[in-house]
Amino acid sequence: MNQKNNLIIGLIIAGVVVMSANVDADPRDFVEGLPNIGIMLQEITEVDSSLFVTALWAMLETIQMAFIGTVVGVAIALPLSLLAARNLNRKFVYVPIRALLAATRTFPSILWAILFVIIVGLGPFAGVLAIIMYTVGFIAKLQYEAIEAVDADPMDAVGAIGVSKLQLIRFVVLPESASHLLSQILYIFDYNIRQTSILGLVGAGGIGFYIINYIKFFEYGKAAVFMLVVLVTVLIIDWVSVRIRDKYIVKSQRGMQVKV
Amino acid sequence: MQEQKGSSSPSISTLSIVQMNDISASYDSKSYVLKDIRMSIHRGSNYAIVGQSGSGKSTLLRLINGMMNPSKGKIMVDYQTPSTSDKKFKSLMHKIGYIPQNLGLIKNSTVLENVLIGALPRVSGFNSFFKKFSDVEIDNAKKIIKQVGLEGKAERKVYMLSGGEKRRVAIARALVQKPEIILADEIVSELDHVTAREIMDVLAEAQATMNLTAIMVHHDLQLALEYADRVAVIKEGEKILEIGVEGDKIVDFQSGNYTQREILEMFSGEPEE
Repeated sequence: MNQKNNLIIGLIIAGVVVMSANVDADPRDFVEGLPNIGIMLQEITEVDSSLFVTALWAMLETIQMAFIGTVVGVAIALPLSLLAARNLNRKFVYVPIRALLAATRTFPSILWAILFVIIVGLGPFAGVLAIIMYTVGFIAKLQYEAIEAVDADPMDAVGAIGVSKLQLIRFVVLPESASHLLSQILYIFDYNIRQTSILGLVGAGGIGFYIINYIKFFEYGKAAVFMLVVLVTVLIIDWVSVRIRDKYIVKSQRGMQVKV
Repeated sequence: MQEQKGSSSPSISTLSIVQMNDISASYDSKSYVLKDIRMSIHRGSNYAIVGQSGSGKSTLLRLINGMMNPSKGKIMVDYQTPSTSDKKFKSLMHKIGYIPQNLGLIKNSTVLENVLIGALPRVSGFNSFFKKFSDVEIDNAKKIIKQVGLEGKAERKVYMLSGGEKRRVAIARALVQKPEIILADEIVSELDHVTAREIMDVLAEAQATMNLTAIMVHHDLQLALEYADRVAVIKEGEKILEIGVEGDKIVDFQSGNYTQREILEMFSGEPEE
């Protein structure tokens, strides 16, 4: 431990204290508020099971929204990622596409949802559009990075045959980056389910609409039913993605398991 | 018909499929990878280029298929100057099978899919997008897969194959191009002696039956002399000699300053890849 390290640590701690005061983050409020957790927990245990059917339907709507958003988003993202990859395009193509993609990522999906509620009105459609926007920005970025990381050797070997660029994409770029894409789709679907669950906060459909309303009226027991359904759904989807990942991704990346 | 032109060069160029006149190449402006290379490779021959790592051998192959341009000198491949942006040369590229050192296979695709890549120049953009190949092409690809010794493995994914089998896939991909020239960059140097010779036999047989020109880069002079008609030895970017085997004699085609023993010594005692 030298003095310089101590000074840096001291400065960081001082920074946290000063900034906490600035944003009014007072730990005493937290301690005073602790008993509220007890009240909330007690009310949450008074689960209103009659709402389960409603919650399941709301969850189904959420899953459908996330599914549409993911599929359409990926379908739009894929050609954009091909245009944004530096190893496939000239600068005047990939620079504007990248700028566009960066712009779509600037807003979290909840802000897109607010925007689309204004445009198409309240309801799930606004939520779907928000999910699409976020998915496009996210998947296209990860995918063009994966495309740029595609091994140069096959590109070189197949390019030397004198094939067209589309053929190069179809036979080298897509197969070589497919496992990345699958992995990213699984991740974004999982993420979109969780995102769609809160888009209801701004009136863009899905299960979040119920959760926010029950919480507003302090009906924690009712909100709990919906939150429980979200939790279980996310766990199931997580479990399914792990299965898919194991089956299609881990194997091909290790390249070891020989099936006869 | 007895009339001849002044020099003998026209008759040489009709024989040779690759002609290099004082070629130099560099990746930066500071140093040359290749210096003043003169080379004449005859149509239908089995030509080997031997040299140590970093001697510029791979660059030579990339000059032939136009993946790189020389900084000085003139190169002619089948009477054309290699250039990937030239439409006319592109149709020649379809006929040049290139097997880089790392083979450049698509790991997650099957053997058949990899091999069919060689047929892509003959497939329309629309059909290739849906990976639709004609029955003729598929039959031909399967025939070549059998020819290189991979019968029954057409549907296997490439990542499941052994090193020797992967090389056979790369050879098959090149052969499906119906090539006039095959360029192979040290494709057997990482294999054991037996497997290396098996692979070389596959190539030699294809070269003889399909009447193509094989230009192969090797690390191992012994192996090169075993299979090639002519061997060019490259050292630090310069061709120091060109030799050939006639019977059991090694014939020097360029007045090099090295004896046969010196040449072999140059390559012995360096078994690393």
